[in-house]
Amino acid sequence: MITSDNARPVPALVARDISKAFVSGQIRTTVLDRLSLEVMAGEMTLISGPSGCGKSTLLSILSGLQSVDAGVVHALGERINDMDKRALERFRLHHTGFVFQGFNLFPALTAYEQVALPLDYLGLHRGVARERAEAALAEVGMASRMHLRPMELSGGEKQRVAIARALAKEPALLFADEPTSALDADNGQMVIDMLHHIARRHGTTVLCVSHDPRLIGHADRLLTMEDGRILEDRRATRTVDATLATESR
Amino acid sequence: MVALARKTLIYEWRRFLPAVLAVGFAGLLQLLQAALVLGIFGGAAVYITCSDADVWVGYPGTQSVDQGHPISPDVAILLHMDPQVDRVESFLWVNGDWHGGGTGAVSVFVSGIDPGPHGLMFVRALSPRLRARLTAPDAVIVDRADLGKLGVAVGGSATINGRRVRVVGVASGLRALGGVNVVASLETARRLDPDPVDAGRPTYLVARLRDPARASFVVDALRGHKGFGPYEAWTAQAFTRRSMLFWLFDTGAGAGVLFLAGIVFLVGAVITSQALVAAVIGSVREYATLNALGVGVRALRWVVLEQALWVGAVGLAGATVLGTLLILLARGEDVPVVLNVPVTLGCVLLVLALAATSGLASMRSLRRADPATLLR
Ligand SMILES: Nc1ncnc2c1ncn2[C@@H]1O[C@H](COP(=O)(O)OP(=O)(O)OP(=O)(O)O)[C@@H](O)[C@H]1O
Ligand SMILES: [Mg+2]
Repeated sequence: MITSDNARPVPALVARDISKAFVSGQIRTTVLDRLSLEVMAGEMTLISGPSGCGKSTLLSILSGLQSVDAGVVHALGERINDMDKRALERFRLHHTGFVFQGFNLFPALTAYEQVALPLDYLGLHRGVARERAEAALAEVGMASRMHLRPMELSGGEKQRVAIARALAKEPALLFADEPTSALDADNGQMVIDMLHHIARRHGTTVLCVSHDPRLIGHADRLLTMEDGRILEDRRATRTVDATLATESR
Repeated sequence: MVALARKTLIYEWRRFLPAVLAVGFAGLLQLLQAALVLGIFGGAAVYITCSDADVWVGYPGTQSVDQGHPISPDVAILLHMDPQVDRVESFLWVNGDWHGGGTGAVSVFVSGIDPGPHGLMFVRALSPRLRARLTAPDAVIVDRADLGKLGVAVGGSATINGRRVRVVGVASGLRALGGVNVVASLETARRLDPDPVDAGRPTYLVARLRDPARASFVVDALRGHKGFGPYEAWTAQAFTRRSMLFWLFDTGAGAGVLFLAGIVFLVGAVITSQALVAAVIGSVREYATLNALGVGVRALRWVVLEQALWVGAVGLAGATVLGTLLILLARGEDVPVVLNVPVTLGCVLLVLALAATSGLASMRSLRRADPATLLR
């Protein structure tokens, strides 16, 4: 989907000088302060940092769930920061998948139905939707449990269904916010492996927020945030200063 | 298509139960109220609905059967001139005071009818045998349920407007609104009428048509003929409605019924929408996740509305079953209840409107399904 003219990776997400503040009563809290960032296509990028530093806010802005106060956001070459609500919904429908800390599965639906539901809105043919849903469930190892409801699934299984739900749309962008924090060590490890695998196998750009140290080893790139700024930008092998990385464009 | 609305309704039925019950009871109340109104106020038109006449001719502007004035008997000639008209009869209405059996004066409505075997009036209430007994002088028939009120038994006598009458039989389905119906032959009724001006003049002329479906054409053709004195013609259906509506609004019952219907609707809608709101809020994170994945707010609203309509349909089914049982029970106990198709359909529409209104009201809570709140 994203091809590069030369061998260098192409950014799937670009944020330029974005700022975000929340006002509650008299107090104005700046959460993101003129932050710039490029997330490369087909990579798994991890954002970590202390609580309250603005990681989730950054993720929601890059995924088109929240607007910025200032700055520009490009996703897959489209400028998303001034799209209207409908256009954003359409963009997300076609290009983004989400995995949240909570599993957010409908209690009434079976695993298969959870995954097939968003596909209905993509306007896919029934056969295609069915194939995709089943393939996604198979990929997360839930093929044999696809007729069970959330009540009958373990925490790790629920998160796997949530991943399959995001995956079945075949999105170019996959966003995950603390996907492992509600899980025990083994299940957390499995979820991490899966996200990593998805980035490799499908060329999906995975942007993940976590302070789970186990995730670090799997990421292609690790961003460390503090107080609404990116403090450190480390590749799997080498470390580059954040300001250098963003200003070298 | 994954039927999210329906599956959620089935799986989380406990959550939707209050809404279903609210819709069901609102529907049941509207239905029973409508049946009672039709049953009770149908009494105002029992003369029309129990008879075989397709066209009624009376004094112009008559609001209800009991409000009639005498017209010229010559109008019968006009009626006979229409080839559609098969049979014409006079119907005499006499207001009277009943004395007898030590009950004091009871106000009665005397219906003077043709007692012959082919008579049109009250064919649905009087058997031919019973009807034939009216040919005896001073013979009257009353409703079985009115015997106590009149203080007589079959075979007993009393006076109406000071003239002697004898009860020769009882029927059912003759009960009137605001008084007691007494059926007599035209001859007997004329003798009971104290006003000599009315002599020989019927209150109504009624006609049966060869094809009842042509009634409105016959009524149209009867309009505007000079030289017969004042008269106006109605189809039986129109006159029934006119009579019922007159009583409904003249007695203030209509306003009461509408008021009660409004209250039931409002209370039902409030309870239903609250339950639906609770259901939406219970799934708000899931809805937000769908929205994050790109399912539009419009599509989510539709899910909520669909859920509301399912609640309406289930409530309605319950109301229908219970309503049918209660109406059968009421019939068995001689409570006047009547249902017809248009009124039942009206109740169904009202209940669905209630469900839809509640659904629309509960849609507002979808605003909490902001996907940004999932990221914290
Ligand atoms: N809708 C909001 N209204 C007001 N303040 C908000 C809102 N969303 C976030 N904030 C504030 O913005 C700051 C950053 O929040 P954010 O959720 O991005 O932190 P985070 O880095 O994800 O933290 P954690 O690791 O604890 O999840 C916090 O101080 C929070 O209080
Ligand atoms: Mg967070």
